[in-house]
Amino acid sequence: MDGSLIWRILGGVLNVGVVLLVAPLFQGVLRKVTARVQSRQGPPLLQPYFDLLKLLGKEDIESGETPLMQRFAAYLSLATVLTVACLVPMGFVAPMNGVADIILLIYLLTLCGICTLLAGLAAGSTYSLVGASREMMSMITLEPLLAIALIVGAVHTGSFRLDTVLNGSVYETTGIPWSGLIMLAVMILSFQAFVQRLPFDISEAETELMEGPLMEYSGPKLALFKYAQMAKLVIYSALFVRMFVPWGSQFAFPLAGLLFWAMFWVKVFVVVLLVTLVAATHARYRIDQAIRFFASLFAVALGALVLASYGH
Amino acid sequence: MIAREMFEEFKARFGPLIDRADLPSDRRLFVFVDRTVVKFVCQHIFRELDARYVASIGTDDRPFSGKFLVAHNFAFDKDHVLCSVLTQLPEDDLKIDSITKMVPAASWAEREMRDLLGIEPVGHEYLKRLVLPDGWPEGHHPLRKDVPWNEVPESYNDTEDSEFKFNDPPEGCTVVPFGPFHPTLDEPAHFRLYVEGEMVRGCEYRGFMVHRGIEKLAESVMSYNDIPMLAERICGICGCVHSVAYVQAVEEAAALKPPLRAEYIRTIMLELERLHSHLLWVGLACHIVGFDTLFMQSFRIREPIMWIAEKISGNRKTYAICLIGGVRRDITHELKAELRVVLDKLESEWRPVVAAVSKDRNIQKRTCGVGVADKLLVKNAGLLGPVARAAGVEIDCRRDHPYAAYDRVEFDVITAQSADVWGRVVVRMNEVFESIKIIRQCLDKMEDGPLQLEIKDELPVGRMGLSSVEAPRGESHHFVITGENNRPRRWRVRAPTYQNLQGIPAMIKDQQIADMTISLGSIDPCFSCTDRLETIDLRSGKTRVWSQKELFEMTRTRTKAT
Amino acid sequence: MSVLSKLGETLICLKAGRVTLPYPAQALPVPENFRGRPIFDATKCIGCAGCANNCPAREILVFDVCQEIRILQYLGRRCTYCGRCADVCPEKAITMSLEFENATNKISDLGQKLDLFMSTCQRCGRCFKGAAALDELKMKGYRSDDIPHERWIYRADAFLETEPVVEDIQIELD
Repeated sequence: MDGSLIWRILGGVLNVGVVLLVAPLFQGVLRKVTARVQSRQGPPLLQPYFDLLKLLGKEDIESGETPLMQRFAAYLSLATVLTVACLVPMGFVAPMNGVADIILLIYLLTLCGICTLLAGLAAGSTYSLVGASREMMSMITLEPLLAIALIVGAVHTGSFRLDTVLNGSVYETTGIPWSGLIMLAVMILSFQAFVQRLPFDISEAETELMEGPLMEYSGPKLALFKYAQMAKLVIYSALFVRMFVPWGSQFAFPLAGLLFWAMFWVKVFVVVLLVTLVAATHARYRIDQAIRFFASLFAVALGALVLASYGH
Repeated sequence: MIAREMFEEFKARFGPLIDRADLPSDRRLFVFVDRTVVKFVCQHIFRELDARYVASIGTDDRPFSGKFLVAHNFAFDKDHVLCSVLTQLPEDDLKIDSITKMVPAASWAEREMRDLLGIEPVGHEYLKRLVLPDGWPEGHHPLRKDVPWNEVPESYNDTEDSEFKFNDPPEGCTVVPFGPFHPTLDEPAHFRLYVEGEMVRGCEYRGFMVHRGIEKLAESVMSYNDIPMLAERICGICGCVHSVAYVQAVEEAAALKPPLRAEYIRTIMLELERLHSHLLWVGLACHIVGFDTLFMQSFRIREPIMWIAEKISGNRKTYAICLIGGVRRDITHELKAELRVVLDKLESEWRPVVAAVSKDRNIQKRTCGVGVADKLLVKNAGLLGPVARAAGVEIDCRRDHPYAAYDRVEFDVITAQSADVWGRVVVRMNEVFESIKIIRQCLDKMEDGPLQLEIKDELPVGRMGLSSVEAPRGESHHFVITGENNRPRRWRVRAPTYQNLQGIPAMIKDQQIADMTISLGSIDPCFSCTDRLETIDLRSGKTRVWSQKELFEMTRTRTKAT
Repeated sequence: MSVLSKLGETLICLKAGRVTLPYPAQALPVPENFRGRPIFDATKCIGCAGCANNCPAREILVFDVCQEIRILQYLGRRCTYCGRCADVCPEKAITMSLEFENATNKISDLGQKLDLFMSTCQRCGRCFKGAAALDELKMKGYRSDDIPHERWIYRADAFLETEPVVEDIQIELD
């Protein structure tokens, strides 16, 4: 028990550390690829690190309606994302495997979204409130999609454990996994919204709302939010890979485990690239169009859930 | 002699009410009427003869004729005539009947006359300050001849009185302030949106934050050949248009005809400007809906035009190429060849973009059905340019009131029928090809010759000239009265955005906030051209000065209530 | 189909490649007609003040110290690089160079001052007439712009005293 506790702690530290280290790098890749698609040079790959360092070095100004809540929202967002990092198996067994299950995962992911809401409401200016209301509306229709995907997996495997569900469990049926394929399509179509990129970055529409909920943030608190957003991209990509393309990512042998740990990250990188390409080639949708889109996806996902309960 | 026939008709109808008439050419008509009948004449012209409203101009003519002058300009597009209805007002009774009830497009122009000259439009329903800030003292009118151009009235206190006096918002609406600082707007403008949830129910517009007093400068300290350089800087994109329009107005007033080669060169520069403006706009519209990739691509495709313009004129945008009587620089044979190469490349790169965007449903979803301006609004608010052409109204000054070399080249006028932002996108994208066609024809037809007229005598004094030039945004109309001391007596610039902005409140009503920016962007606003902003309010009535604290309080309570 | 049009757009983008120019690592290509900073050549200048009369921004000040000495100062602050001065100069003493990197933290870097020794005209003793009717600034007599305070004074002094002969409007430009 003791050895596994140390192993858990090490695994947690490793997960969190890798996410923290790699998130700005993926963001840099995203910006560079977007720039190349737009025929321009783009910032250096390591630019997000410098951006975060610069923001952290700025003066910590209190502004907005309730500064305490603003500060709390900033801390909470990064903390939630990093906690989720400990729940997702990234190439080996998740550190919090025995003590957490997918229900906790769903709650924590929703909490990530709520942090943006808190930020917007705490700032209290008109634009941030409009952004917060947009975020609320999209969250209501969006978060259930991921929850249903996880629950479909849970229904197939009959358990809520992280390592069973987050192992391609949506495909574990006899015969063709219809519900799994449907959920794969649903997640592909809505993935951009989870990571808040075009065409669904409605709550932070720069040209319409001047950054929306994050309008009153600057300096270190903004750095925390930005970091949380970058880490969210990594976490969601990792979740996607674990749920839908997990093959070859979990082995017990140390050496082979290292190889498959690397392969896991390659797959995450590919997902990030696809996100970038889609974001670079689409215009932003309006909130009502987006909500209608998600609502129809929700109906499809419910259909998949029904199929799953019948064993398909 | 179309103008003569029109005048005969007027004479038959109004007879003794006409004091005087001038017909300087077969395309211009100046009719002086008594001030009591201005309304009837304008109604006859606008409604019964179905002319298009162009501008209303006020002038302080006291040093010369002892009276104030008001001109209402209309355009008969099918007959190719620009007509001006003028009336003289005595100094002690400075009132004129407002024509805004029949011609809603004149709303701003009359408020401007009141602000800057003190001419009171009787019967105008919404007499708030337009150009001058709210705290400006009454009775001090900057455009009058006895007011020096650099005088600031002592009773104007810049700090206390500088808040705008806004109207009350309608029931159940929150106020979302849009501007003056906003990422979408390139220039400062303030739209006070009244929103209910996400839907815009009305707006109040305040602007004229970049009013620079150009007209006063031109009358007081500049000379005839300095003003094209100033006119060029009225706008950040359509600079050549304004300098050509001014120069043409003066040439018309002084009865000068520039050499043919100069006309061709002016045409080429105007079309080059249209090319770069439309390409910029398509990129900007995509940026507003969040599609940055097409924004970057449009700018990449547009860049060679800026380089060739720099080679021809010496600067990427401020060409400084027009002078009274001709142009300053020539397009040599090498430049011609280079220009042809640039145009070929532009066309080959723009065709695939147009093809791709026409089928792009993602962009269409954001732009179809948004910012609708139908034919009725176009007529009443006097909307111009691609906004009007997208609604199916076929007006184009290059064809209707030909100037420079446009009567010698052939081109089509592009229209669409959908009257929304998507129609404007389509119109602007396709006008690029027409511009390329025009430039190619000019390059082929250009003959050798002098670039500039030899003007030996001073220009005659007291003559009026009108000129309508098709800017990328619509018709840009200049009115000049020549004067002594080598400078004009009056120069009025009416940019197309001046009229198009008056249609904005109707276009954004009952749409979402997200659509407001693209609707505003679709008229291609050039606030520097406009210098002013106008607001049309839902509820007229009491005004109240809101302090910032009160505004915040109101916003928060409303948001908590919804 | 929307996907095909998106693919079409992406192909357009990728075919174009990278168009960013490595400025300032590499100098920007400037065409020969470019209107950059004007350079005044004092050896060719005859002091006719045609440039000062035709500058739309009124950035060239003229000051007559006495009958024989005239100071011409180009301030360069609001210069719009229009090139009118170069156009009207009868001696081609002004060239529009190709320099556009004119940013400086000391505005006097851009100024050019010409101290000119004037010889009197045989017939009238003083004046020059502009080339064309529209290139004149309606001022007669001696010019006395305020060079130490860099102000252009729209008033004519006929005999170097302060009473104006021509009743011009008393306007001063900062």
